[in-house]
Amino acid sequence: MNWYRSFSFPGQTITLTGCRLAAGWFACSTSFAGAPLPAINPVPQPEVQLLAPGWGELDYTAPEPGSYQLPPLAFAADGVVLDSEGNPRHLHDLFEGHVVLLAFIYSSCSDINGCPLATSVMHSLFKTMQTDPLLRGKLRLLSLSFDPGRDTPNRLRLYENGVVGSETTDMWQFLTTASATELAPILKAYDQAVQPEFGPDGEQSGAFSHVLRVVLIDQHQRIRNIYSASFLHQDLVLSDVHTILLEEAQPTVSEIRINSSVSHLSGAGDFKRGYETQAYKTRSQSLETRKGKPADLLKLVNDPPLGLPAVPIPHENPLTTGKIELGRKLFFDRRLSLNNTFSCAMCHIPEQGFTSNEMSTAVGIEGRTVRRNSPTLFNVAYMERLFHDGRESTLEQQVWSPLLAHNEMGNLSIGTLLEKLKQLPDYKGQFEAVFARGPTMETLGRALASYERTLLAADSPFDRWFFGDRSVAVPKSTKRGFDLFSGKAGCAACHSIGNDFALFTDQNLHNTGIGYRQSMGNDESTRPVLVSPGTYLEVERSVIDAVGEPPPSDVGLYEVTQNPSDRWKYRTPTLRNIALTAPYMHNGSLATLTEVVDYYDQGGIPNENLSPLIHPLGLTETEKADLLAFLNSLTGSVIDLLVADAFAARIGDPGRNDPHWSHAVSENKQ
Amino acid sequence: MNRSQTTLHRLATTGIVTLASLILFLQAPAIKADETCMSPYMAKITGQEDFVYVWTLGVEGMGDGQDKLVTIDVNPDSPKYGKIINTLSVGGRNEAHHSGFTDDRRFLWAGGLDTSKLFIFDVHSDPAKPRLHKVITDFVARSDGVVGPHTTYALPGRMMITGLSNNRDHGGRTALVEYTNSGDYVATHWMPTDENLNGAKKGGKYADGYGYDVRALPRRNVMVTSSFTGWSNYMMDFGKMLKDEEAMKHFGNTVVVWDLHTRKPKKVLDVPGAPLEIRCAWQPNHNWCLTTTALTSKVWMIYEDESGEWQAKAIADIGDPSKIPLPVDFSIRSDDSGFFVNTFMDGKTRYFDLSDPENPKQVYETVIGKQVNMVSGSWDGKRQYFTSSLLANWDKKGEDNEQYFKAYEWDGKELVQKFSIDFNKEKLGRPHQMRFGAYSLYSQKPSNPLNKHARLQ
Repeated sequence: MNWYRSFSFPGQTITLTGCRLAAGWFACSTSFAGAPLPAINPVPQPEVQLLAPGWGELDYTAPEPGSYQLPPLAFAADGVVLDSEGNPRHLHDLFEGHVVLLAFIYSSCSDINGCPLATSVMHSLFKTMQTDPLLRGKLRLLSLSFDPGRDTPNRLRLYENGVVGSETTDMWQFLTTASATELAPILKAYDQAVQPEFGPDGEQSGAFSHVLRVVLIDQHQRIRNIYSASFLHQDLVLSDVHTILLEEAQPTVSEIRINSSVSHLSGAGDFKRGYETQAYKTRSQSLETRKGKPADLLKLVNDPPLGLPAVPIPHENPLTTGKIELGRKLFFDRRLSLNNTFSCAMCHIPEQGFTSNEMSTAVGIEGRTVRRNSPTLFNVAYMERLFHDGRESTLEQQVWSPLLAHNEMGNLSIGTLLEKLKQLPDYKGQFEAVFARGPTMETLGRALASYERTLLAADSPFDRWFFGDRSVAVPKSTKRGFDLFSGKAGCAACHSIGNDFALFTDQNLHNTGIGYRQSMGNDESTRPVLVSPGTYLEVERSVIDAVGEPPPSDVGLYEVTQNPSDRWKYRTPTLRNIALTAPYMHNGSLATLTEVVDYYDQGGIPNENLSPLIHPLGLTETEKADLLAFLNSLTGSVIDLLVADAFAARIGDPGRNDPHWSHAVSENKQ
Repeated sequence: MNRSQTTLHRLATTGIVTLASLILFLQAPAIKADETCMSPYMAKITGQEDFVYVWTLGVEGMGDGQDKLVTIDVNPDSPKYGKIINTLSVGGRNEAHHSGFTDDRRFLWAGGLDTSKLFIFDVHSDPAKPRLHKVITDFVARSDGVVGPHTTYALPGRMMITGLSNNRDHGGRTALVEYTNSGDYVATHWMPTDENLNGAKKGGKYADGYGYDVRALPRRNVMVTSSFTGWSNYMMDFGKMLKDEEAMKHFGNTVVVWDLHTRKPKKVLDVPGAPLEIRCAWQPNHNWCLTTTALTSKVWMIYEDESGEWQAKAIADIGDPSKIPLPVDFSIRSDDSGFFVNTFMDGKTRYFDLSDPENPKQVYETVIGKQVNMVSGSWDGKRQYFTSSLLANWDKKGEDNEQYFKAYEWDGKELVQKFSIDFNKEKLGRPHQMRFGAYSLYSQKPSNPLNKHARLQ
């Protein structure tokens, strides 16, 4: 029987004899032989009150990797640290797309269930990594000191030599910070509380009181687990690491379609990443727990997030809380369509970036084909032209187009919708309270526009760096990506960035060749159809055509101006929150940002109206990766607030007290 | 055959046959019950059915453009044999799809996949002329957001309704919703998801939370559900969807085995490629159900293994799966000896022999039309009825868009068409599910004087 088996932790006090304990962590202590620092006291105390599971074998079988989920807990913050050579490094640069186990330690720590436990578990993992090709190059161990006063790079290097040997390795790095000032925001961001301990004389003892925190971070800088002493065990860490790596093994798409690095509420609840591979596993969220919390949206508009200018608000429609709330009620009300099936939110789905990640072009009432991709509503308040072809000018007017479109919400007239609203019991008095008059073409437009105007999403890592002057807000790759974006790649020519704010759009329309390809390109004779996870069948074009209507034509801005030189011109979309709004382009024809970058790198599709700004870019793979890093840094920090607010909204569906002709039928029968 | 023959044959959960039904059972001319895909709890027609009720989708611009219940006289002894004898328009195009009787067979519940309305028809007052009894308009609100009521399945005193979608994202995550026979909401049972398996065991890689059909094997205290896709896909133009890779990722890949008594999911089984209809075996020693996968064209057996564990295995291909024949409805024989399965794309029905249930063998196929969806067989297996429509926006376009009801006789070797009704020509719409009616279920004689003579001779 293993001697540590009988321990329960945390729990009773267990007395150990010194020799047993010494035997128990023999491997750990010998591995530090030669370390000149009292990093781990090799002579155990005669009495140890609790011994963490990490020191022994796990009392139960670790879960099968991939058999469970590790939902993202938070964004793993960046920060400037010093490596053991004394070089300043960004944490995000050190993460470099690895799964990272980050432990907060200090070298003079002697609490056996604190830093030594972390170092011991990491040492076991380090040994496993040396022999496991699956882990090597994918997992990285980081030990970060929270004692910069004493743990200088020199001292850490000695510590490192004692633990991993004199050969430096990327696999396990020992880090410190230049000063407590540099350290403080990192500790705060990782919620690591550290208190210096004081001796009886009132002097600092050199020890720190802290709760052991070892953080598991995925390749996308999301915290996926936070271990405490009670379950920091190498078997569990390995299960978790493999679970994360399995997720990544699935997709062939080389990037995160849904970047949760900022928002953990965003992303379709029906997880499909990697569906095109046999390794796909579901990670579906339950609908019954999709609950939210209302937010003060007026406050958000009055003080827009960093990177956005003041919100333009029409003087005839000043923003009020009452209007926003009425607008939100309308926005999520499926009864606003002819047959009570479609709200605005059925195409502009909050957790899917207020667009739909689940189809390339939309469908409307009765499943009718809509020819374009639902645009995101984030930051729509700033758009000077609405719709992909820019045909509408104000949100107040715009709302009526989808309400009345035969293939969107299908209402037959303005009057029938307004009369219907007047008869719905839950709207009684609502318009009157806000507008001092009932539902009209004008008040309904104003209410909906008021809610849409509040969907502001900025204060992204980019904003914090670029407009907030916080150089540590983004890693170097993002900065290199920005240089390309505004330089060699020429993106900023249309996706404009100002001195004090950035909308990432020139509010203009351009021909990039995407529309030309759709209208004028030839279809292939067969195409692959995904029939189950990882299984494609090559299907004859004729089979697909037999069950499909011919695709509707789309000539872009030309349809508005009738000017042939405007053929296939579409509005420059904002790039803010772009990681959340796949698929891309006005027709959703590009599934990932990688495809978008490749498309522009090749110079679009030549046609007589192709914008002169589009030309082959000659980007290297590294440059493309940097551009992607930049695009992924544009996700705003308040997304969760907006999504949670949307989740809290009641979805309007027909109720028993709503008028319906059939109720008379039922009543007559009873 | 001059009279319709029926048996009120109810199997209780425990398998005990009540005295009254046992007497009726013994009076029946043969071991017969009902159209074979319906609830084992339900009253049965064992002989010649008088009517087929066809739940029919309205087509914009055709006739009155709305969904309707079409009643067809199918008794060869009736002077109106082969004719439409009633149509009942219900208002709107609701994506009329499936329907099912209450356990007492007095009411037919028919769902609309688009508007999520449930139309409850009184079929007992005058079986030849169903009446609209009640419309449930608040299904979505009552069920906490379930969209697309599909199967309406009789359990004792109540209806178990499968959803296909939800009101949050119009995707495939959904629930079972339980109502009383009188139309009162009882409960929502969410399909197990990774986030909330609700006690179920995940048998493989998937727990998508999708739904489609439901069947029960009461003697094993088991309920089985399958999984299709959400509103966005089942309402989308089929050709558009096939070209949209993101949309194609949103199909169900699971069958869930439930504890029938507790309504708790027990196990989620991987059955990739959209398993649709479920048909459970009727024979008392057959602890299995079959389902077919629409996209991967396979027959799957859901079975209880020797250790009492529920498992799924693929046991046959339907047509050439690489061509996506799209198996849709299928109809099992009452003695579990075979089944008809339709493939939508090639318009064929195929008969599979089930002498060895784990190795179905196709022994017959024939083309029913340019497209075919539903098939319903009489309990004695002698008559098979077919309709054409799959979904409003999935049906074929142009000339291939045949819409029909066709009645066939099956002699064990060949299907022989008896009559056909062109629903386009009649300006009725897209015929979908068929349910059988009979006067004798309600101890009635024909109310229509025109066929009185034939019926009472």
